[in-house]
Amino acid sequence: METIEKKITLTDGSKLMIEALVQAGADTFVAYPITPSNWMYRYGKERFPQFYAAPDEITTLQWMAGMSAAGRLPVTSSAFPGIALMVESINMAFAMELPMVIIVTQRLGPSTGSATTGAQGDLSLLKGIISGGYPVPVFSPSSFEDMWELSEKAVKTAINFRTPVFLLTSKEMVMYQKAFDLNRLKPINKVERKMPEIQGEYVPYRAGENLVPDFIPLGNDEHQVRITASTHDEYANIRKNDPEALANTRRLQEKFMKRIDELTLYDLDKQEGSQKLLVTWGITADAARDAIGQMRENGDKVDLLVVKSLLPVSDEIYQIIEKYPQVVIAEENLNGQFKEILYGVKPVKNIKQVNKMGNMITPEEIIQAFV
Amino acid sequence: MTTNKPKTNYLTDKKFPFCPGCGHGITINALNKALQELNYGPNDVVVVSDIGCSGLIDPLFATHTIHGLHGRSPALGLGVAMGLNQNKGKKVITFIGDGGATIGLQHILEAARRNVDMTLIVLNNLLYGMTGGQISGLSTQKYKEIIDFEQDIPPFDVIQLAYASGARMAVRVNAPNKIKETLKKAIETEGFTIVEAASLCPSYGMKRMNELVEVIEEENILEHERPATQIRDNQTQSLIDKSLVIQKKYDSDLKERKGILIAGSAGGGVQSAAKYLAMAGIFSGLEATMKGEYPITVGTGFSVAEVIFDQKKINYTGLDKPDYFIIVTQDGLDKVRKKLHPEAKIYIEEKLVTPELEQEFPALIKVPFSRLANRKSMALAAVTYVLNKEGILPIDALKEAVSTHRLKDIFVGVIDKVVGSLVEN
Repeated sequence: METIEKKITLTDGSKLMIEALVQAGADTFVAYPITPSNWMYRYGKERFPQFYAAPDEITTLQWMAGMSAAGRLPVTSSAFPGIALMVESINMAFAMELPMVIIVTQRLGPSTGSATTGAQGDLSLLKGIISGGYPVPVFSPSSFEDMWELSEKAVKTAINFRTPVFLLTSKEMVMYQKAFDLNRLKPINKVERKMPEIQGEYVPYRAGENLVPDFIPLGNDEHQVRITASTHDEYANIRKNDPEALANTRRLQEKFMKRIDELTLYDLDKQEGSQKLLVTWGITADAARDAIGQMRENGDKVDLLVVKSLLPVSDEIYQIIEKYPQVVIAEENLNGQFKEILYGVKPVKNIKQVNKMGNMITPEEIIQAFV
Repeated sequence: MTTNKPKTNYLTDKKFPFCPGCGHGITINALNKALQELNYGPNDVVVVSDIGCSGLIDPLFATHTIHGLHGRSPALGLGVAMGLNQNKGKKVITFIGDGGATIGLQHILEAARRNVDMTLIVLNNLLYGMTGGQISGLSTQKYKEIIDFEQDIPPFDVIQLAYASGARMAVRVNAPNKIKETLKKAIETEGFTIVEAASLCPSYGMKRMNELVEVIEEENILEHERPATQIRDNQTQSLIDKSLVIQKKYDSDLKERKGILIAGSAGGGVQSAAKYLAMAGIFSGLEATMKGEYPITVGTGFSVAEVIFDQKKINYTGLDKPDYFIIVTQDGLDKVRKKLHPEAKIYIEEKLVTPELEQEFPALIKVPFSRLANRKSMALAAVTYVLNKEGILPIDALKEAVSTHRLKDIFVGVIDKVVGSLVEN
């Protein structure tokens, strides 16, 4: 029998994310320092081919947009106070359809809150971050393996959908160290960015069947490129509410919904005949895995759904949840932000919520919710 | 000698969208002529603009264009300029109005100090033309006296500010017939150059050039002899390849999950002691996690670290009820005081023990940690002491862990001293 040698190291999620982003093809890190993104910044400086210490978070996003428009693939990492400053510029990058990756390391709010205390409190912000209610892809890692794989996914989604992508993580996930087998990391293929073959005139926001316009960088020798954040038609001419311009704006949602299968990621750990489902995301998945482990040891049948693509929400998530008569949704925030995105603020009869702020949800608290 | 090659027109055939008499058109035509004389290809130029009347130029240019947010074009433009810097022969020309320059003043100063090749044109018509003629940070004193608005507050001198921040060239030009030559020089000069051009606003401001000249700041040319910043890609090494791979060398007789909480002060080596403890666990074949906590002011106050060991995979990393406390300073005790519980083994620096604490936790173990090592090594000494007493994993594993550090001799010395003192006792 062959034994696969392990390569155990003491590592952290920040390191895995930064390395995976670079291996996938991200090439520029821009950031203003903020806790708990400290290690992202440090590793970003060490690993990215280009690194910029921006003077603030608005500048960060503006530089990233300019670099992205010029053909680079920029990444930043911040927490709520910085993300709040970026909001208008994120809208700009979204409307311009510029690929980039934004890591959010959640910490306890409101406001400055507690910089070194973890939280899962910024999902609602990302749900509503684009004026008009347009979706932006949000991936949330639930383990070290996810930090690696979803970082690659984020880079590829940013390119393939021409969009900013969020990686939603939290203080506890990015700032603890753990024994980890490096052989568990899947090889990453670097994304290839080829100049599209354009027949005739290049129309910057004309999209084909996949609803994503071909990307050509500013400054290229062959085609004039026009990019704008204002409401525009496919030529990037600024229009008010002309049908052509509104069709282009509507496409900013449709391009995601048309290929939502490519954006849907989750782990479903099933047991034959289970009537109970535990749903969670992000840091709470650690406690959830321990909780179902203990419940199963005690002879209880329970399934676990760890959602890794939080936005836009896929019908698949509803289809899974709705098969179960008893559901618990656990997340470390005041009122259950993912639950509210799925089902609104009104309590749902067969869904019990485990919510908490200021400390991680424990496995025991999750088990109690099933009693 | 003459050439028959027609001059490139950098402008589209779109009609200028400005009010009759607006000064912005003068600068745009001057830029077109300057680019013609400099002989750029249309795809070598990127025109960056933002919101306000100055932003109306976006559809007028037959070059690459990017049109963003109010006040942010100097930052967006710098992003483009940094992104394109390695493609020689490309030129980024960014427009902003005086209102936008007020919002994005820091972006301008930042671009100036970075001095990456880009030309910023500030179209200063002294007011906000799209929203009703309100004043901006660049509205001049004399103009504000006329309209009786914040007369006591001086304007920003964006040329002086950009120069003071390191701009390669900063120019204010008022005479319309000098704008083309000024722009030509600014565009030719490699580095960050800024040109502030006075502009009429017939709708709200000055309608005639002679009136405008009366209220604007004087022309000015400021230059630094400073080479433009060049952007390069750095060769970097995989963070994974640099990771220290830890092979199991020792055995641990750990039966069930144990959590250890080390509490001390900033600068007392708590975080590194915890890290070496976690690594020692991995050298002993255990699963391990390590988590640090300290105030935002990292150089003062408490420093606390949690280490969890298990033979099985550790998912949840919370340590709600530590099995062992190792408390070396008062800061550390204050921080973890509420977490102490009677089932835990509490190892504590003897000087910190009060009668009240001892009454509540009669089983606490008083140790003269401060006599075993100096302040910086006390946490490592305390960890050594507790491992020696509790036998969670071999001391040799801890030595192996500290031996990965360049100061290994010092650390091994600390460990040996503690072990030696225990043998003597």
